[in-house]
Amino acid sequence: MLQLAFYFALLSLVSVGGIPSVMPEMQRLVVDVQGWMSAAEYTQLFAIAQAAPGPNVLVTALIGWKVAGIAGGLVALGAFCGPAAALAYSIGGFWDRMRDAPWRKTVQRALIPITVGFVVSGGYVLGTPQGLDWQSALIIGASAATLYATSLNPLWILAGGGVLGSFLF
Amino acid sequence: MEPTPPRSLWELYLGFLSIGARSFGGVLPWAHRVMVEERRWIAPADFAEVLALCQFLPGPNAGNVSVVLGRRWFGLSGAIVAFAGLMALPLVWVFGLVLLYADFSANPAVRAVVTGVGIAGGGLFIGTALKLAKPLAQKPWGIALAASCFGVIALGRVSLFAVLPVAALLGWLAAHNDLV
Repeated sequence: MLQLAFYFALLSLVSVGGIPSVMPEMQRLVVDVQGWMSAAEYTQLFAIAQAAPGPNVLVTALIGWKVAGIAGGLVALGAFCGPAAALAYSIGGFWDRMRDAPWRKTVQRALIPITVGFVVSGGYVLGTPQGLDWQSALIIGASAATLYATSLNPLWILAGGGVLGSFLF
Repeated sequence: MEPTPPRSLWELYLGFLSIGARSFGGVLPWAHRVMVEERRWIAPADFAEVLALCQFLPGPNAGNVSVVLGRRWFGLSGAIVAFAGLMALPLVWVFGLVLLYADFSANPAVRAVVTGVGIAGGGLFIGTALKLAKPLAQKPWGIALAASCFGVIALGRVSLFAVLPVAALLGWLAAHNDLV
C-alpha cells in the first residue's frame, strides 16, 4: 500500500489534464508491473468510477480498495490528489500575475500535442482490456465519434457502451 | 448583480456538496451551474480564468477548482472544506457501487455490460483528445509528436516518466519555433 501511495503521489504531479493523461501509466503499473489485477478488472473498475458522480479521480480510490480495502482506497485517493492540490494551493496567485507572460502561451501550446498523445493512449489501454478485437474497436469508435460530433451527455454514451457490451461479450 | 462569495464555510461546503452530488458525467458543467448561475459566487469571466489555470495544473481539474476558490475565500480551511464537500458524496456512492458489483461480478451478463461501459469510457477519452487536437489540424509536427507519444506509451508500454521529459523538450522546441 505504501508503494501504491508513493507511486500515485508521483503520478499526481505529472497529471496535467487530470486522470486521462496518467491513465496509461497507472494501468501499466497496476496491471503489467505489479499484477494487482487483470486488464479486464481494471477496465471494470474504471467503468464503475464513471457511473458515479464526481471527478473521475475516484477510480484511484477503487484501485486502492482492490489492493488494500476501504483504507487503501482513501489512501490512494489522498495520495493522488494531495500533491496536486498542494501545488494548486500555492500557485494560484502566481499564475494570475503571469497572465501575459509569453512563456505561458508557449507552455500552453507545447502541452497540446503531448496531452493529446497521452489521452489517446489512456483511451486505448482502457478500451482494449482483451487486446484490440473488433468488438472493442466498434465500441471505442462509436463512443469517440458520438462525443466528438454531438453534444449528447456522456452518460448516454456510457449507457450505449453497456448495451453494446451486453450483446458483444 | 455583483457576485457575492459564500459567507461561511458551511455555505461553501453545501455548495460543493451539491456540485459533487449532481455531477454525473462531468463535474465542470455543474461547478459552473452552481457557482456562477445558482449561487452567484463568482463572475463568469473570473470562473473561466480559474478554470484555465486548473486545466494547466496537474491533478483533477474539478478538485483544483475547489482548492483554488476555497483558498481565495477562506484560506486553508476553505480549500480543505471545498475539496471535502466535492468528494464526500461521490466517494460514498462509488464505494457502494463497487461493493454491490463485487456481489454480481461472477455473473457474465453483468460483467459484459460493465466491460462495455469501461470500453466506451476509453472511447470518451479518445473523443476528448480529438477535440483537444483541433488546434493541431494544420500542424504536422504537432500531430507527429502526439502520434509518437501514443506509439511509445500505448503500444510500446514505456513508462510515462521516461517519455515525459523527452516529449516536454520536443513540445517546447516545437512551440518555441511556432511549429505547434
